[in-house]
This record gives sequence, structure tokens and C-alpha cells, in this order.
Amino acid sequence: MKKVLLFLTLIVFCSFSSSSRAGETPQRIISLAPNMTEILFALGLGNTIVGVTSFCDFPDEAKRKPKVGGMSNPSLEAVISLKPDVVVMTIDGNPREFEERLRSLGINTYVFRARRLWELPQGIRDLGKALGVQERAETFAREFEAALERVGAGERPIGTHKPPPREKALFIVWPEPLIAAGPGTVINDALTLIGLDNIASKSRVSYPKYSIEEIIRRAPEVIIIGRGMEREGIEKISAGLLKRLHAVPAVRNKRVFYVSDDLYRLGPRTIRGIEEISRLVDR
Amino acid sequence: MKIRMFLIVALFFLVLVLALFLGPTVISPFAVDPTSREILFSIRAPRVVVAALMGMALGASGAVLQGMLRNPLADPYILGISSGASLSAALGILGGLTFLGEFTIPVLAFIGAIITGSIVGMMGWKRGGLWPERLLLAGVGLSFLFSALLMLIMSVSSDEGIRKAILWIFGDLSMSDWSRIPYGLSFVLAGTILAGTKAKALNALILGDEFAHSLGFTPHRERFILFVAVGLLTAASVSLGGMIGFIGLLVPHIIRFFMGSDGRVLIPASALVGGALLCVADLISRSVIPPMELPAGIITALIGSPYFLYLLRRKNVLGV
Repeated sequence: MKKVLLFLTLIVFCSFSSSSRAGETPQRIISLAPNMTEILFALGLGNTIVGVTSFCDFPDEAKRKPKVGGMSNPSLEAVISLKPDVVVMTIDGNPREFEERLRSLGINTYVFRARRLWELPQGIRDLGKALGVQERAETFAREFEAALERVGAGERPIGTHKPPPREKALFIVWPEPLIAAGPGTVINDALTLIGLDNIASKSRVSYPKYSIEEIIRRAPEVIIIGRGMEREGIEKISAGLLKRLHAVPAVRNKRVFYVSDDLYRLGPRTIRGIEEISRLVDR
Repeated sequence: MKIRMFLIVALFFLVLVLALFLGPTVISPFAVDPTSREILFSIRAPRVVVAALMGMALGASGAVLQGMLRNPLADPYILGISSGASLSAALGILGGLTFLGEFTIPVLAFIGAIITGSIVGMMGWKRGGLWPERLLLAGVGLSFLFSALLMLIMSVSSDEGIRKAILWIFGDLSMSDWSRIPYGLSFVLAGTILAGTKAKALNALILGDEFAHSLGFTPHRERFILFVAVGLLTAASVSLGGMIGFIGLLVPHIIRFFMGSDGRVLIPASALVGGALLCVADLISRSVIPPMELPAGIITALIGSPYFLYLLRRKNVLGV
């Protein structure tokens, strides 16, 4: 028993002595979410990342980092053995118990709380402060805010009081069974920002299994289908669905667009994803 | 008995019609606008037919299996056929297979079901025939193996893929389409008719092999034919819309409470009530919180189980 206690004290002591104080740039970072990995790389912290999840595939260097497991089930042992100064997690996808467990073992954690589009700049600023890269974070946040302004402003003619009628849109995350992007998602924020009216925005869950007959009834004028990981086959998989939606304005007027997975992760690529949709829809 | 059978047939068709016109929005059959017609014919009608076919397949195969294996706990999923189908479908979903377009996953499920059924049949085969205990144990063993493989694949794949696979496994009728109905209908009809022609043999098998033998049946041969019928029915239902619980296990018991266990009545009645129940469950699952849909399998169990428990208390089950 004494030995165990001694051992535990030793662990706690070691981890405390190696943990970074706020504002100091940590040298060993573990990222437990793909979007956090992208953000850390964008903040120039790529070299200090010592571990990522098996879903962290962007940028390419992230694929070569040691893996510590999935987002919802990272390996505690793998995390500890990498001796991180800080483990960066997200409130959206990482289990809270895991964070508590890490803290009880004396490992520094940082939980990223932004989950909506307009929460990202402040989230980045806070993260930058905690990791000692305030300036870069500030630049990133400013650029992001400017880009949001740019994309959003394009849709609103200046000087008119009445906004133009919004086109009804549906973002399909997966065609079969049909999953749509609903309220509380970055995708919904993005659609609103570029002046589209998401017909799934009043659902009860973020990613509802959406009723096909309700799509026909609500008659969206634009349908956007996310390619997700299926970069090639998605047209084939959607063919059946689109055949059944043939009477919907979006399908009739050929306003069905396929987009990359840039929008799926709240991070540096989000703007690119919004601009992609904005370009397709404007044409 | 004839009146009861007539009532069941009437109920079946009534439910079909109701399920067609009710939904997230009620469509009046007398004032149909183009949008409603579109919804009625290309969305609801195929969906109602698929639900009916699936429910029929599950009810009939449950009735056959419980008799054939002489086990009140047998259901179409106990033989591992559905786990095989799910495993094969999940592999297709997670591997992003699309070689047959929209048919890829149903076809994969069907192939998985047939292969698994054959393996279970081979494992259950000994000394020139199928043995109930061997079939059951082989099915249970195989379904544990396949479920474990399924979990293994799912735990190493991406979150997005898992969500798709889970939705599929828990039964999804939303993609029902006319194109799936011809093959679904032919397999379900073939299976039900095959089982129906062997209803007398099933009655004899329930009494035990020696007894069946003395009545002029060859137990092993009859059991084999019934097994093929069950395999076809289960494979068809899983490939039409994934796994739906409750119907295969409990609908035959409910029918037995009311109409006895004569296979000639039990099989068609279980099929019709199974079909009607799944139609009702699907109607509820797409109507309660529009525009969202719930998996129909949850609803079948939610409305079916309390009723079953109530019957269990009220009626004299197994003469006790």
C-alpha cells in the first residue's frame, strides 16, 4: 500500500513538474479532435504535436503523427506514455470523463468550447492565450472574422431595408438513410450566413433523420450533398434519393450540389467550405 | 375461427389504407393536389408495402421457427441469419461499396443472410437431417461471432460510418422504393407459401419426431423444407429494411393466445398481423415528431411488448 502511494505521489509530482504554466508555449501537445489538430497546425504549433486521433487526417503531416485512438475512445495509456504538456480536447466529441481522468492524473488539459461558427474566433483567441501563441491566434481570429463578414455581406445589398427572399435549402449529410444538417451545426450557421433558409433548422436534433415526404412538401430550392469521406461514390449513392425527389424545385432546376467535407470541421478550412457553397449557389 | 380470420384480413387492409393516408400530414383521398399525389404514390405507397412485406415475413417465419425448433423463444433472428446480413451490409456501408448503386446494401444483406443460413444449416446437419437443438446452438454461436465481428469493425471505423451502419441495423424503412418491391414480394410470397404448404407437417413436428413419423411425415425432410422457407423470409426481410425486433418473436404468441397453434391458421395470421403491426409502427415513427423520423423497430417493441405482457397475465399460457 505504501509503495503504491509513493508511486502515485511520484506520478503526480512528475506530471506537475512537467506541466506548463498558462501562457507558456507547451512543447508536447496531444490533440484529441481532427478540427483541433487543424487549428493547432494553423497556429504554427504543428511541430509540438506529439499525438493525434486516428481521424486526424489534415494537414498531411497530421497523418504521420503518433495515434492515440479515436475521438470518443482515446487510449489513456497512449496519452500518458507520450508525456504531454497539455492535451487539447473539444467539448463536441470528446468524453468529459476522459478529461476528468486526465486531470486526476495531473495531466494538463485544454477544452475547446466553441462549437458554432461565430464562437470560433473567440475560441481561437482563448486557445492562443492558453498555449502562449496570442499573436498568431489574434491574426487567425481577425482573418476569420473578416472572411465571415465578406461572405455574409455579399448576400445583403446595402441600403435595402428588406432582405431578399431567402432560398430554401437542405444540406444532406448522408443520403441513405437520409440525414440532414439541422440546428446547432456549423453547416446550419453557414447556410444562414450565405442567405439560405435551412428547411431542417427547426428539427429537434442536430443531425435529424429527415422525412422524405417532408422534403417534397417543403420544396427546397437548393440541395447540397456533403461528400464526406466518400469522395467518389456519393453521386451513385444519392441517385436513388434524387430520383425520388424529382419533383422538388432543387432537383427540377438542377440546383443540387456536391461539396467537400471542409464544412464538417470547425477550423481553418471552414471558411473555404462556406465559400465553396456560396460560389455554387450563386452561379 | 373463420370470422376471426376474416377480421384479421380486414384489419390488415384497413391498416394499409390508413398508413397510406395518415402521416406527418394527413392526405385526404378526396382532395389530392400534385404534391400530395407525388408523396402518396412514390413515397408512402412503396413504404407501406415494404413495411407490410417485412412484417409478414417476420411474423410467418417466427411462427414456423417456434414450431419447428419446439422453442417458444425462437425468432427469425436467433438463427444468426440477420447478424450475417447485418455484418455483410455494414461491411458494405463502411467499405463504401457502391457497385450496384442503391441496390448494393440490400443485395449484400441478402447474400450475407443466405450464406449464414447455409452455414447454420450445415452445422445443424447430422446423420441425414437437421436437428432443432443443433440448429439453435449453431445459430446462437454464429450470431455471437458475427455480432462480435460487427462490433470490432464498428469500433475501428469512423464516427460517420458507424452512424450510418447503426441506422441501417436498427431498421430503416425510409428508403423503401418501388424498385425493391418485386424481389421482396417474390421472396416473401415464396417463403410464406412454402411454409403454408408444410403447415400440417409443422403441426406434427411440434408433437415430436416420433409422433410426426407415425403420422406419415419424414421429420428431417419436412424440417429442411421449413428451414429453407424461414431462410428466404428472413433474408428478404433483412434486405428490405434491416432488423426489426419483436414481431418475429411475439406476434406468433399473440396469435396463439387467440387462435390456437394450428399451423394452417397460425402462419397466415402471424404474417398478416405482423405486416399490420409494422405498418402501424412505421406510421407512428414517421408521424410523431415531424420532420424527424424514428426507427420503426423501437415503436414495434414499445407498442407490442406491453400488450404482450398484458395478455400473458390475462390468458392461460401453455395451459398453466
